[in-house]
Amino acid sequence: MTISKLLVANRGEIAARVLRTAKARGLETAVLRHASEQEGPAHVIADEVVTIDGPTPVAAYLDIPQIVEVAKRIGADAVHPGYGFLSENAGFVAALEKAGVTFVGPTSDVIDLMGDKVRARAFVEERGFPVAPSAIEDDGPATFIERARAVGYPLLIKPSAGGGGKGMRVVRADAALEAEIEAARREGKRYFGDGRLFVERYIERPRHIEVQVMGDGKGNVVHFWERECSIQRRFQKIIEETPSPALSPEQRLDICETAAGIARAVNYRGAGTVEFIYAQDGAFYFLEMNTRLQVEHPVTEMVTGFDLVAEQLRIAAGEGLSAAQADIPQTGHSIELRICAEDATADFRPSIGNILLLDEPRGEGVRVDSGILDGGKVTTDFDPMLSKLIVHGSDRAQAIARARHAVQNYVILGVTTNTGYLDAILAHPDFASGDVSTGFLAEQADALTAPGENVDDLLMAVAALSDERLVAEVMQISDMHRKMGGWRN
Amino acid sequence: MRRIFQIGGEETECWLAHDGSRFVLNTPEGVLPCRLDPTTSPGGFVLRARGLVRDVRLAAGPEATFVHMDGRTYEVGRVDPAERLAGSDGGASDDRLVAPMPGVVVSVAVKPGDIVAAGQPLLVIESMKLETTLAAPRDGVVAEIPFAAGDSFGLKDVLAQLAPEED
Repeated sequence: MTISKLLVANRGEIAARVLRTAKARGLETAVLRHASEQEGPAHVIADEVVTIDGPTPVAAYLDIPQIVEVAKRIGADAVHPGYGFLSENAGFVAALEKAGVTFVGPTSDVIDLMGDKVRARAFVEERGFPVAPSAIEDDGPATFIERARAVGYPLLIKPSAGGGGKGMRVVRADAALEAEIEAARREGKRYFGDGRLFVERYIERPRHIEVQVMGDGKGNVVHFWERECSIQRRFQKIIEETPSPALSPEQRLDICETAAGIARAVNYRGAGTVEFIYAQDGAFYFLEMNTRLQVEHPVTEMVTGFDLVAEQLRIAAGEGLSAAQADIPQTGHSIELRICAEDATADFRPSIGNILLLDEPRGEGVRVDSGILDGGKVTTDFDPMLSKLIVHGSDRAQAIARARHAVQNYVILGVTTNTGYLDAILAHPDFASGDVSTGFLAEQADALTAPGENVDDLLMAVAALSDERLVAEVMQISDMHRKMGGWRN
Repeated sequence: MRRIFQIGGEETECWLAHDGSRFVLNTPEGVLPCRLDPTTSPGGFVLRARGLVRDVRLAAGPEATFVHMDGRTYEVGRVDPAERLAGSDGGASDDRLVAPMPGVVVSVAVKPGDIVAAGQPLLVIESMKLETTLAAPRDGVVAEIPFAAGDSFGLKDVLAQLAPEED
């Protein structure tokens, strides 16, 4: 099958990023836009912008019948789902299939399997891959609490249908167990329409290490090395890098081959990511598999030189993988920073506003995947991530230095962002030495949000002198005084 | 001319004057001769003050001036001194529960007219993927719960209001 027209069923930076590659490959392109949505880079790049309706902008992007209808109406022969929204929705894949439209991604049965954490975990465990000690509610709801206790504290409660940290809770003492299970169940029901839970042993000071895989659906799977994503706030990644500073070359091969083995076991098609929890003692356990392109895929592109979206499109068109494992290098070091509209000093509260001035950093080894335009408006309709700043350096120290320079020179005025906070993380000695865990941001919260040198007087001078009305009034008075006093300059 | 600036939640009163040859900002910390000259970059200026020379980028919003300087971004709130004199907005602060961030109401445990005790849960909200229970700040009677379960609310929206305390 060939693909000649691609609909990107997403928005923001990822829609723009996918569209760029699609256009470079000579495809006709289309993208969605909700009526209330600001114009973004994707709308500028796409050949065609299709307006979608919904009670809320998010609901419109989740409306399967509407999006399938759009694909048919505009004559798209393939749909790229990006990440989030319908990217891991087996029902969407089935609906597209019925309509004769190619889904750029895995088959619906694999999405189904990996989307159910409990089934995925059992599948992986049965095939001899490592998983952490756990208790699954479905194995016997009546004895679930008892079995959860037997896993031992600290433990982590997760919704079976979950992802992205939603509804996850750490329990350190037995007294809190039952209340936390109920809270997690409510969140699971609300987010995923499914209140089933499982618990697993919480690994102290864990690192989050994941592996990019790509399969052709015909039994061939390669990996594109690992990414470390331990820098997380509220279980959500904000800095990712590759290679991981924690792994020895032997461990790196071990974890990457384990991931490829898991993908091979499901005869994986397309781009996917196998996530692991990495313990301080070097042991690692399967966490989940994300059956889509990840937010942080650019760091992999920077060190391997491959365009992962191009690979996805090749596979969807039946052209297969463009490289064998031996042809996939891991050169230098890459770091991604997620630029978010949020106030790191106020518990990461999302911020809103108009972008009054936007000036992106440029330079050697610097890439910006942005979802915003100068003059745009930031609302709470969508995720607070505005853009991604990705850098590449010959080694980790150079990558950190480049990331710091770039984030310091990323000018976004009009809405509070986390650029200063990201720079503080990069400047922290534990980050520099690579001694981090997923709890790093919480442990170092005070140090990372400490106010810098007091420059309030300079800021007030800037605010006063840039206020044209104030300056005019002051000059008028000065002029009056001068006349009264008979001065001359 | 007097101005009140707000940086990091703290307000400072300043007085900008021009002595015939230069601008002088009088702050509680002292007197700061200063000047600001445009550069060719969008929103770009050079600030000279305190013997320092700094490249800045700035943009003025309706209520605050955003400043990028030395690799950091700052927000300088501009408070109109006249508006400040107009004073408070009426209700005592402990009468109302204000949204600490935008979110969605998960459940509501009380209705207008209910008598509640300090610490009693009034409603559960969900913001940034986390559930939070909002409790009554004092003993009292519920006057208003403006949002129902499933409703979205914005930053600083009133989520619950107690009837004013009788003296």
